[in-house]
Amino acid sequence: MMVDSPDRPEPLTGDRNLETEEFVVNMGPQHPSTHGVCRLILTMDGEVIKKVVPDIGFLHRSIEKIAENRTYHQFMIYTDRIDYVSSMNANHAWCVAVEKLAGIEVPERAEYLRVIMAELNRIASHLVFLASFAIDLGAVTPFLYAFRERERIVDLFEMTCGQRLTYNYMRIGGVSKDVPKDFVSETKKFCSYLYPRVDEYEAILTENPIFLGRTKGIGLLDLPTAINYSVSGPPLRGSGLKWDIRKDEPYSAYEKFDFDIPTGENGDTWDRYKVRIEEMRQSARIVEQALEGLPEGGIKAKVPARFRPPQGEAFARIEAPRGEMAYFIVSDGSTKPYRVKIRTASFCNLQALPVMARGWKIADIVAIFGSLDIILPEVDR
Amino acid sequence: MRAARQVWSGVYNLVLGLVTVFKHLGHKAITLQYPDERMPMFERSRGVVVLLSDPETGKLNCTACMVCARICPVYAIDLERSEEPDPETKKRYPVKFEIDNTTCAFCGLCEEACNFDAIKLTGKYEFSVYDQKTLLYDRDFLQELGRDVPYEKKKKPLPKAKAAPKADPTSPKPEEPASPKPEESPEESPGEDKPEA
Ligand code: SF4
Ligand code: SF4
Repeated sequence: MMVDSPDRPEPLTGDRNLETEEFVVNMGPQHPSTHGVCRLILTMDGEVIKKVVPDIGFLHRSIEKIAENRTYHQFMIYTDRIDYVSSMNANHAWCVAVEKLAGIEVPERAEYLRVIMAELNRIASHLVFLASFAIDLGAVTPFLYAFRERERIVDLFEMTCGQRLTYNYMRIGGVSKDVPKDFVSETKKFCSYLYPRVDEYEAILTENPIFLGRTKGIGLLDLPTAINYSVSGPPLRGSGLKWDIRKDEPYSAYEKFDFDIPTGENGDTWDRYKVRIEEMRQSARIVEQALEGLPEGGIKAKVPARFRPPQGEAFARIEAPRGEMAYFIVSDGSTKPYRVKIRTASFCNLQALPVMARGWKIADIVAIFGSLDIILPEVDR
Repeated sequence: MRAARQVWSGVYNLVLGLVTVFKHLGHKAITLQYPDERMPMFERSRGVVVLLSDPETGKLNCTACMVCARICPVYAIDLERSEEPDPETKKRYPVKFEIDNTTCAFCGLCEEACNFDAIKLTGKYEFSVYDQKTLLYDRDFLQELGRDVPYEKKKKPLPKAKAAPKADPTSPKPEEPASPKPEESPEESPGEDKPEA
């Protein structure tokens, strides 16, 4: 439509006024729905996304380099800060990797405690996902509910290890402290409290027509693409592959527990959400079983303070809430690692975003990005 | 027909969500009005680091063995050891003990490593100040902070050295309380009088 205005001395004529231009939108770095500091450079055609380039690195703290200057014990507190929403899992991955490097046997009780903590943390992490995903899509109520439940998990952690976010609970060869007296009963209470709460979230969200409209069929990620992009965790399972390190390469005591791996069918945003909801229930099941069978015994293998693993390399991976988290350690036989490489799920999952978001509307990118559950410190490290 | 079913399902699920929300109307608030009400802290809470004193003598438990300073991952502890042992307790003591609260990560490794029940992370969490420099806590301030902190002796002080082995930098630090043999490296011997290298 042409409007004659004094600002435009020359009325545009001919083909030129029908030409459309691509428009570049900067989303972030400080955008509430990028969950941290990530900048998405969106090339838009009208409202349709033609290209997404995630610009990362705002939170880079060179943790891998820091690892070379810290002893194996000291580095534990840095693993907390790689993925602060699931520090227990990050701790766990480091422990598993170092123990593999040095061939340390971990007492049974410690393994069970690790599983309990890791699964509780998985629930907490998925609750944070649910909260932020819901509020990104405009549903405020689940946000409040999810944080209410997370508070109870965090209390359980504080009771055990004293912190609410950076737990630093696990140690090479075991865990730092035994659980307090009432931990077992409190956790059991929490698990039975959680199931109806998850049903509640589902009642509000899962079949809600507005929520369905925002998520169903949006941001498709087909299985071959997912595999090619090394997507892991709930996004991969949402695309339909039953792949979970806890089942396929059990570490700690996971082979002793009975749980299912939920998968999606279409690989859309809704499937990824649904997989996480279901995983919360399965995690609660694992916690219940582990509490039931919690063996007595020591909680820490003997590891000297000046711990020197033998020369060599080790690679270990675990299933963190966001996907596979792996550490590759090269040891030169001293108290400090020679090199540490950290594989984080968020980094790999983020690479699939440009494929998933292409062709969708700008409003959908919030849902698609949210459904990947990216933690930016984990991307940048 | 399909459209009708969709409409029905949509309305049903919207109402279901609303019913769920309204069920929560009568519940008590779970939040606290912070400055007026406070959450009780757990016993193990890891907040500000303090130095503990002996309730009887009122002196610091710390023997300035440097273990905590060495284990601290962020090098937040700066301490200096006295030349002479204290005449009363026959122990060395720290002439300078500073913890930099701007870098401390509240990880608890120092508390775990200390063999003399001398350092502890407490449930204190309100330490905001206007001037960053005041976050460098010195020995006396840390001692004051720790005066009212109850603690139980979880680890016995190491028995006196029979024959202190020469300084062996590779000897395991007493992070392992379970270790039965008294590990003795010169800096860790509580009442040692003989001068050392
Ligand atoms: S480890 Fe304990 S005794 Fe040794 S210097 Fe630190 S606080 Fe003092
Ligand atoms: S709590 Fe951790 S960071 Fe703070 S002084 Fe102790 S060892 Fe250092």
